[in-house]
Amino acid sequence: MHSLIQLSIVVLLLPLLSFVILIFFNRRLPRRGDFIGLGILGTAFGISAYIFWSVIVQAYDPAFRIAWDFTWIDLGNVPGVGPLQIKMGVVIDNLTAIMLAMVTLISLLVHLYSTGYMAGDKNYGRYFAFLGIFTFSMLGIVLSDNLFSIYIFWELVGLSSYLLIGFFFEKDSAADAQKKAFLANRVGDIGMWLGILILYSQFHTFSFEQIYANLAAGNFGLSNAWLTAAGILLFMGCVGKSAQFPLHVWLPDAMEGPTPVSALIHAATMVAAGVYFVARIFIMLTPDALHVIAFIGACTAFMAATIAITQNDIKRVLAYSTVSQLGYMVLGLGVGAYSAALFHLVTHAFFKACLFLGSGAIIHAMHHEQDMRWMGGLRKHMPWTFATFTLATLALAGLPLTSGFLSKDAILAGAIGFAKVEGGGIYYLIPVLGFFSAMLTAFYMGRQIWLVFFGDSRTHLKPADTSHQAHHAHDTHATHADAHHSTHAVHEVSWNMRAPLVILAALSIYAVYSPDPLDGAKGWFMKMIPTPATVVGAANPQKGALLTSNAPLHLASVVPSSETAAPALAATPVAAEHAVATAEHGEAKGGHIYSDPRQAEIVHAGHAAHFTAIYISSIMVALGIIMAFVVYVFKIIDPEKTARLIRPLYLFSLNKWYWDEIYDATVIKGSMALAKMLSWFDAKVVDGMVNGVALLVKKFAFLNDSFDKHVVDGMVNFTAFTVNTTGAVLRKLQTGKVQTYVVMLLLAVFGYFIFYFTRLIY
Amino acid sequence: MEQLTTIGLNHYLTISAFLLGFGLFAVMTRKNAIVILMGVELILNAANINFLAFSKYNGGMEGVMFALFIIVIAAAEAAIALAIVINIFKIFKSVDVSTVDTMKE
Repeated sequence: MHSLIQLSIVVLLLPLLSFVILIFFNRRLPRRGDFIGLGILGTAFGISAYIFWSVIVQAYDPAFRIAWDFTWIDLGNVPGVGPLQIKMGVVIDNLTAIMLAMVTLISLLVHLYSTGYMAGDKNYGRYFAFLGIFTFSMLGIVLSDNLFSIYIFWELVGLSSYLLIGFFFEKDSAADAQKKAFLANRVGDIGMWLGILILYSQFHTFSFEQIYANLAAGNFGLSNAWLTAAGILLFMGCVGKSAQFPLHVWLPDAMEGPTPVSALIHAATMVAAGVYFVARIFIMLTPDALHVIAFIGACTAFMAATIAITQNDIKRVLAYSTVSQLGYMVLGLGVGAYSAALFHLVTHAFFKACLFLGSGAIIHAMHHEQDMRWMGGLRKHMPWTFATFTLATLALAGLPLTSGFLSKDAILAGAIGFAKVEGGGIYYLIPVLGFFSAMLTAFYMGRQIWLVFFGDSRTHLKPADTSHQAHHAHDTHATHADAHHSTHAVHEVSWNMRAPLVILAALSIYAVYSPDPLDGAKGWFMKMIPTPATVVGAANPQKGALLTSNAPLHLASVVPSSETAAPALAATPVAAEHAVATAEHGEAKGGHIYSDPRQAEIVHAGHAAHFTAIYISSIMVALGIIMAFVVYVFKIIDPEKTARLIRPLYLFSLNKWYWDEIYDATVIKGSMALAKMLSWFDAKVVDGMVNGVALLVKKFAFLNDSFDKHVVDGMVNFTAFTVNTTGAVLRKLQTGKVQTYVVMLLLAVFGYFIFYFTRLIY
Repeated sequence: MEQLTTIGLNHYLTISAFLLGFGLFAVMTRKNAIVILMGVELILNAANINFLAFSKYNGGMEGVMFALFIIVIAAAEAAIALAIVINIFKIFKSVDVSTVDTMKE
């Protein structure tokens, strides 16, 4: 066993230890044991940082991979299934190393931040225990080398998010939100499990490595449609966990949880699990499955961005922007921009965690006011929060010199390349939606920054409506929840809440990831996480033939900077163009080989589109920012008038595209109606049958009873009566006088003699 | 006349029958428990005479053996019976058997 594997197992188990200690002993420990959670996570982060150093910095090899597994359950030869062994294992590659460091770092920072934010909560110790089990489950997903253990940890993540969303479970809204999140996740998980079963039925293994080896060898016995179905079903798990359309409804409601939890789960890690999972199964996804994924990602990105524009709750804006950014990642994976999507996953994790923690600081400072309409002017009171929040916002909007710019542009470039390769038309919808969402992102984040930090304080404008207050006061856990909402009470938060903000904001700067502020592909991240070669595209003759009609299907084409690839790809005019572009942008991938011509084309079409993407997205972001300035800074356009002018659209966005209402009318009402019908069926038919049988038995029992009473008892009673009467008669003979008996004896003897002699005589 | 002068089996049996008659009469008519016991003794002795007479005229020793047993048993019976009578007297302050009917019903 490699020493890094051993260390990674230690990292995995440390948060579990924290959970076990804190859940059982937090009340007996000083400070409810928060230092234990913090210390353990610090250790875990230290080890993860060492793994990161060894893998990324020292090895610096895109193909780095070490794995270890053991047989966990051996069921022997199961009838109808064959030999069934369930293995557990750990795999460490570049992606794992990065994710390990990211998850533990953000978890550590959230722990630190929570010591300030959650101070005084009555379930303070339990909160840290839950953070521990959540981190454990997330690390389990990251380290798993097979579908089965990923599924186990996947469910554990679902459970921990359930516990954390409903942390303030006394509130109905929190309890509802936790149920909603859990159920929405379940819908996705069922699909995921079905996908796992399809693969298992074919290969009799859960291991990624073996599944892909089998797929590459063409051992998939069913048609390609089944493989597409398996891919889409597995993707359903991601749809649930990463809050993609149409299961995105749970994430905004999950903001009922404590704000640091929102940062940890609903921005940085748990929702990233879905994207991470799709990345793990990326190479087995067929082009059709990838199309579905790309469209769902694009729809999610656009829809969430339009909703975020009109939301007033500071956390809800961030929640919808999270959904939107997750849409970008899924879109990126769908269009084949694998490295870009994962790059965005990591950069987004840092700046979104920073934004959420910043919003937590604001909420904390504003005494649990979450409505942006009643904020304003916080820049002067909270300079640290303002600076870090703004930096993270710039990264989210995708302004140059930030990490978000690098990753988002890489995705968008990939989307343009994808649309070109797929032949335009409907496929251009994906980059168009992506760019449009980028503009909306800049707009709503500009709006948020302006409403929260600039202008004058508007706390006094808040209507003194208690019901309104109750609706928006989501984090009413602290004792001073009902304090007066006056600006003079607003203060900068303490150091343990400020430090995470600074660290996370620092990680949102481009220089961390790439030396070139305009091109992420030059940075270590995208070099270490190259797009892996698909194992199914080559075995899909239809698609291949469509794209390169006379290129041999299994011909390996070296993607960038390789002149030998050009002739093979020059079959179509589009491909020829790309081949030229490839030569120009030949620096991107150090000779990575893609045996699938479609994938090869997409990858370098993405590189070719790099500058196009930069231009368009910069223009869109600038437009968004200008719009935000026009509306909120210069007040040239009055937002309220505009809202009245386009009222249906405004309401459409404000009410989140009515998804909750649609689900209420269809799924919830539908299941209610079904439940009622089943209840009726149960009451009338099933109960009817049971009652009928009961009635029959009862009648029979009555019959039996009367037979018993009259016949059996009658006989018994008659016997008793006879004996009784006889006894009463015979009793008279028992006089108790010996003489009487003697006389009787004599009479009997005489009687006998008379009888005897009479017979003798006759 | 020979019948009257020579004592034969019939004489014995006659005496025995008389004795039995007296014994039964005593048992049936008397109320005194002791007199009843005396009657019982008469009945036993009547049986004894029968056994001995038949033994004498039959030639075997079985009757004699029976008679011996009966004498022994009669002695034991008298001892037990008298003990019972004493107890009856202790409880009922009387040896009148007509008063000893508490087992009835």
